[in-house]
Amino acid sequence: MKRRSLILVTVDCLRADHVGFQGYACPVTPFLDSVAKNSVVVSDAVVAGAPTYFSFPAIMASRYPLGLGREILGIAPDELTLATALQEAGFATAAFLAGNPYLSPRFGYDQGFDEFHDFLDSDSSGVTTAPLQRSSPLSGVNRGLEAIARRTRLTATAYDELYFRYCQWISSREDVSLDQLRRYPAADVLIGKACSWLNGLRDQPFFLWIHLMDPHHPYYPPQEALSSLGILNLSAKRARFLNSSWNRGDIGPGRLQRYKAEIISLYDAGVHWADKQLARLVAALQQLQRWDDTAFVVTADHGEEFLEHGDRYHSPTSLPEQLIHVPLLVRAPGLSGGTTLSGPFSLIHLAPTLLEAIGAEVPHSFQGRSHWGQLSAGKLPSEPAIAECAEEGTRTRLMTVRDGNFKLVIRFRDQTDTLYDLKNDPGERSPLSDAVQKNERVQLLQIARRHLRESREGRDASSGVRARLREIRRSLDRRPTQSAALETVEHG
Amino acid sequence: MANQLRTVQLPEDLCVQAESWLKGRFDSLEGLLSFLLAEIVKDDGAKLDQHEEEIVQQRLRDLGYI
Repeated sequence: MKRRSLILVTVDCLRADHVGFQGYACPVTPFLDSVAKNSVVVSDAVVAGAPTYFSFPAIMASRYPLGLGREILGIAPDELTLATALQEAGFATAAFLAGNPYLSPRFGYDQGFDEFHDFLDSDSSGVTTAPLQRSSPLSGVNRGLEAIARRTRLTATAYDELYFRYCQWISSREDVSLDQLRRYPAADVLIGKACSWLNGLRDQPFFLWIHLMDPHHPYYPPQEALSSLGILNLSAKRARFLNSSWNRGDIGPGRLQRYKAEIISLYDAGVHWADKQLARLVAALQQLQRWDDTAFVVTADHGEEFLEHGDRYHSPTSLPEQLIHVPLLVRAPGLSGGTTLSGPFSLIHLAPTLLEAIGAEVPHSFQGRSHWGQLSAGKLPSEPAIAECAEEGTRTRLMTVRDGNFKLVIRFRDQTDTLYDLKNDPGERSPLSDAVQKNERVQLLQIARRHLRESREGRDASSGVRARLREIRRSLDRRPTQSAALETVEHG
Repeated sequence: MANQLRTVQLPEDLCVQAESWLKGRFDSLEGLLSFLLAEIVKDDGAKLDQHEEEIVQQRLRDLGYI
């Protein structure tokens, strides 16, 4: 029997409710929607952590993000991953990642890959960063004005508003394109490179990981993606104004609301571009006659917030559904298509499930278990999913335990737990009191307690130390003084 | 207690290699080792895990389930 290959596509910031195959009404993912007809869609996939650096340890190494300690991000040296397992099994392995610094060799993500391209240097990414503005005599005047304005809240607000408008006026005089404004290589660049790599393979089974950043802020999709969605009146200048406005820290959600619809249009166009390019990738596989024996999986590391709870982007200040609920589409040989499975599925189980799907051995270190049998049978077990992250500053854990209907959010910083009835309150607007659904709260608390115990007892101290030493070594090599090295380790 | 010192034994060739590497970074092998050990023990994840487990246990007790 011909050995199966695997393509894992992760799309940064892709929310579950912004893809057609999970119910989004706007037609941003026509290609993936067509693939979904021959795939299993897991409608309730939940990341094990957010953002990127707390999510990928689970996706690649099937390990909860705080499993090695609070100071450690990424994969530990020698930690077994999806890539190392497949490389060991004789697969050709390659990763094409669209310039997310948290997915670089610094954090161990190159382990197990024969070819690893993180597109972090501008030569390979095709991204041209605009040169920094030179200091002018006006800069000194501005600094003086700002110092005076900061003396009262009213004048500070007026200064911020005027300064923002001045910056917008300056930048509006510049003629730029969306391509020039983009910070990350667009999907077409990555897919082009990935296709070249696939072309060079013979009959060897392969593992290809593609990480796309098209929906990531700042939101600058290709003009073609906007046009394809029928958005014809959104210029590069307008996109720059929208992104600048959306990024303002000095105005509240009330004022930001006015930009939300257009910001979502830009985000959707990023998703649409990723969809279009994935169509190219699949066409290339079909041409190479590799599509039929390849498992093709699309998911995300986390979602994105658009003021639903007052926040933007995806910082882990809370773990609402907009951040932890992601799409998951699995198309694989032998899997009957057109099925949508409900019930929470943690991405901690993704790597072992995919390894079983392609007939490879699952490393013992993986904390998740293969659900391939259940996916094939069309029924997921009723099993709560846990997502966690460490809060900035205190490094205390923020975690959620989520079953089919209820979600418990535990914030250890202030020792609170909040229960939501997702079935009747999907927007997480009305926390339930202790008196209501007490059994559900207790059940989810017990699962949290078990997770914390397993996290403590199952800690791999040597992996943690190796990961810590890698970071220390890096900081010492970069900054050859002890105090500078300490500073780098503490703030890096 | 900070000025109480302990003697440890390390392979000579490893010390020589480390001394060659640390030039310009640390004054001495003792400085390097103290720095590394301090950095490694700084990660108190296990202690935080235990503390957080106790918080959940207390919550369950408050709810009358332990």
